[in-house]
Amino acid sequence: MKASTSQSESVAKGFWGKALSSPSIREFLRVVIAISIALGIGFIITLIVSDEPVKAYSALLFGPLTKINRVGDWIEESITLTFLGLAVAIVFKANQFSLGQEGQMVLGALVAGAISLFVPLPTYLRVPFAILAAMIVGFLWGLLPGYLKAYLNANEIVSTLMLNSLAILLYEWVLTYYIKPPDAGYTASDTFSADGIMPTFFPKLPFLTDLRTQFIDQTNISIALYLAIIAVIVVYYLMFRTPFGYELRMIGANSKFARYGGINVKKTIMLAFAVSGVFAGLAGAHLAMGIHRKLILNISFALGFEGIVVSLLANNNPLAIPFAALAYGYLRAGANVMERSSDMSREMVLVIQGIIILLVTAERILPMVQRRIASQKPKEPTMDGQSPLGDSTGLAEGGD
Amino acid sequence: MNNVLEMRKIVKVYPNGVVANDGVDFAVEQGEIHALVGENGAGKSTLMKVLYGLERPTSGEILLRGNPVNFRSPHDAIAAGVGMVHQNFMLVPSFTVAQNIVLGSEPTQRALLDKKKANEVTKKLAEQYGLHVEADATVDGINVGMRQRVEILKTLFRGAEILILDEPTAVLTPQETTELFLAIRKLVQQGKTVIFITHKLREVKEISDRVTVMRHGRVMGTLPISEATREGLACMMVGREVLLSVDKTPVERGKAVLMVDDLSYVSETGRTMLRNVKFNVYAGEILGVAGVEGNGQTELVEVLSGLKPAATGTARIDSKNILNNGPREVRLAGVAHIPEDRLTNGLALSASIDENLIIDRYFRSPFKKRITINYQEVISHGEKMIDEYDIRTPDGRLPVSSLSGGNMQKVIVAREFSSQPALLIAAQPTRGIDVGATEFVRQQLVQKRLDSTAVLLVSADLSEVMSLSDRIVVMYEGQIVGVFPEASMVSEEELGLYMLGIKRQEPSEMEANL
Repeated sequence: MKASTSQSESVAKGFWGKALSSPSIREFLRVVIAISIALGIGFIITLIVSDEPVKAYSALLFGPLTKINRVGDWIEESITLTFLGLAVAIVFKANQFSLGQEGQMVLGALVAGAISLFVPLPTYLRVPFAILAAMIVGFLWGLLPGYLKAYLNANEIVSTLMLNSLAILLYEWVLTYYIKPPDAGYTASDTFSADGIMPTFFPKLPFLTDLRTQFIDQTNISIALYLAIIAVIVVYYLMFRTPFGYELRMIGANSKFARYGGINVKKTIMLAFAVSGVFAGLAGAHLAMGIHRKLILNISFALGFEGIVVSLLANNNPLAIPFAALAYGYLRAGANVMERSSDMSREMVLVIQGIIILLVTAERILPMVQRRIASQKPKEPTMDGQSPLGDSTGLAEGGD
Repeated sequence: MNNVLEMRKIVKVYPNGVVANDGVDFAVEQGEIHALVGENGAGKSTLMKVLYGLERPTSGEILLRGNPVNFRSPHDAIAAGVGMVHQNFMLVPSFTVAQNIVLGSEPTQRALLDKKKANEVTKKLAEQYGLHVEADATVDGINVGMRQRVEILKTLFRGAEILILDEPTAVLTPQETTELFLAIRKLVQQGKTVIFITHKLREVKEISDRVTVMRHGRVMGTLPISEATREGLACMMVGREVLLSVDKTPVERGKAVLMVDDLSYVSETGRTMLRNVKFNVYAGEILGVAGVEGNGQTELVEVLSGLKPAATGTARIDSKNILNNGPREVRLAGVAHIPEDRLTNGLALSASIDENLIIDRYFRSPFKKRITINYQEVISHGEKMIDEYDIRTPDGRLPVSSLSGGNMQKVIVAREFSSQPALLIAAQPTRGIDVGATEFVRQQLVQKRLDSTAVLLVSADLSEVMSLSDRIVVMYEGQIVGVFPEASMVSEEELGLYMLGIKRQEPSEMEANL
């Protein structure tokens, strides 16, 4: 009897040991722990600031689920965040810190919006045309800093931030002087006609009418949902199954090696910026034609930078990006609910967001936990060499 | 029998079942230089990690001056006077030398670092042990040799009596190695004990008093150095006869594969690193380039492989100039290149072994299939290479960083040799790898002559150049100053005179032999 108990114990240990030895599960646990800690700290701050801390905090935690339209808002924002996360993952994978998604997105929105408003094509042509145009504009607006970085060695952080400002001003100028109807009281376009809007993701079939009126029609979730899923798969294949993706990843791993091996590093870097822009442009099309359904000032709400958070949460892995986008989108949606329904300010939530980003992405902090967990179970020793510590130093050398 | 340190029946089993140390007995006498040798993976580092408190032994005991000790962490080891200098230096680059040395037990003045005192302490230590460092230079700006001396001083500052040096010469030039050896002797004279991990047998003979050989986690024996021969040690390490000198079948030299003419290179900072270099490499021969490091050999290789632009001149393969076209064109012209610095140029550490093996061919059939890369092909290609070139790894999908140095080099060798090159440029092909891997690489190089490949061999190891090459040129200050058509007919001393610029041949003299 005794023997069998200890055996089952060791089996249980074996299960956990096995689970913990898988890097992806460990990574997942790491993120979960980081978010839990951040939420804990967030609650402590809420306790201090709010008169009704429990109510405020539950608005943050559960708010997005309390109404159907809130669920819709959450999903819609997550779709935009997915596109942006993919855009960031592509450049980050090549070890390029492009922050240009904001500008690419805004211009994508502008072009998509202009086509939706002014090009007299039927829906089934107008919408694809607008989406395609937004992608092309994103591509071109990415090509620019890509060229500057690759061939003129201009720092991409600076150049993309400058180009963001430029794009936003361009957007406002075109919107104010060319798109806004002269008699409108505020700076915005007309609402797009039905021909220029992304159709709902749920086809208008004769049956299931109840379901539709009760749930689907309460939200604005559009076919962008499918575009996002396709985009995730496309980026995954692009990154891990094509020569371009191989070049991208080798440059990211060690650009000197890539050059030594014969890869045209400059061209690939330039293309990385541009291809990244395609997905930021898509995000812009979604903002214009899926969410707002008209062009407004400040259409992005600085969403562009949130793609970075999403991509970092997902460790630049395209397949993880939709999940990271949903998680982060949930947090943002919760923030909106809390702001509206309690005495807490939006800033408070920004603080919690900041803590999460810090904990998840500050790779120097939590690997300690990771290593702790790792030390409970098999390391991969090449007897004479790499300890887990040795590994990380080895990786550090690989950089540019 | 004056053992300052004794490790008895040390067993270290990693949780996944790998037995790294299998009943190791290891004893070090007071005041000796004890070399610990063995191939990568023999368990040397594990044994030293156990000693330094980085790993806990599964069983066995450690006696320090006759008393059993139990180190839970390096802190305990340091407190007991055991210090270790790692292969990868652990210094703060933005701190000064003195700050690095006193880090952790800084002299303070009103809670602030007393810089003057730190500098004084550093200078005193440096003088005492003959380890020259600049106390107030930042670590960023000092060379590798000095960084190593800082590491050693840091350990001494913390009161180490027994110093473990983990492959200290792997990163040093020959001159720096000589200096290091002088310093080690001085340490021992002052009563310190040194454990010296290496796999360079020549150094074992030169510096140590006794040597312990490990293989497969076991000690194969401990010898006084007077009884050790390089051949004998190599045999103990590898477990079979090792050919330290390579057998070369004579090969009829063929047509000129590479014709370099009037090649010059000016560095980005405006220094002329290559001046009007002219030579040919013929099919079926190894042309060795000898020279003290820094006399243009690195630049020669980088220009020929397309990594750097030439200022003047041509390098023709089949009458096509390969200069200034970038690495892809050079490779397509039939050039393979084993780079001098494998971690910088030769590999992407975080990428898989399989992916490292296709950097020069991923864009061609059979790897490229329409618009995608056929990963089944990549994996089976990896398996083939791992098998053929004896790369020790359980799976080609693992990152290269999981391999030992010798096996990393085999990844490069596998890739470059399997591309069927017309010209193979091999720069420092055996630097920092173990005896078994070195033998393998050298044999492969000599083998390549038989397929009438032209080989350009650049090596800082003069004996390597002399034993492998058919023909030797000597470079000095960016020029070829001597050419020796029969490598076997020239002495080391003669080459040395050319390498130091004391002797040089007239261009007319060299003309016929280039």
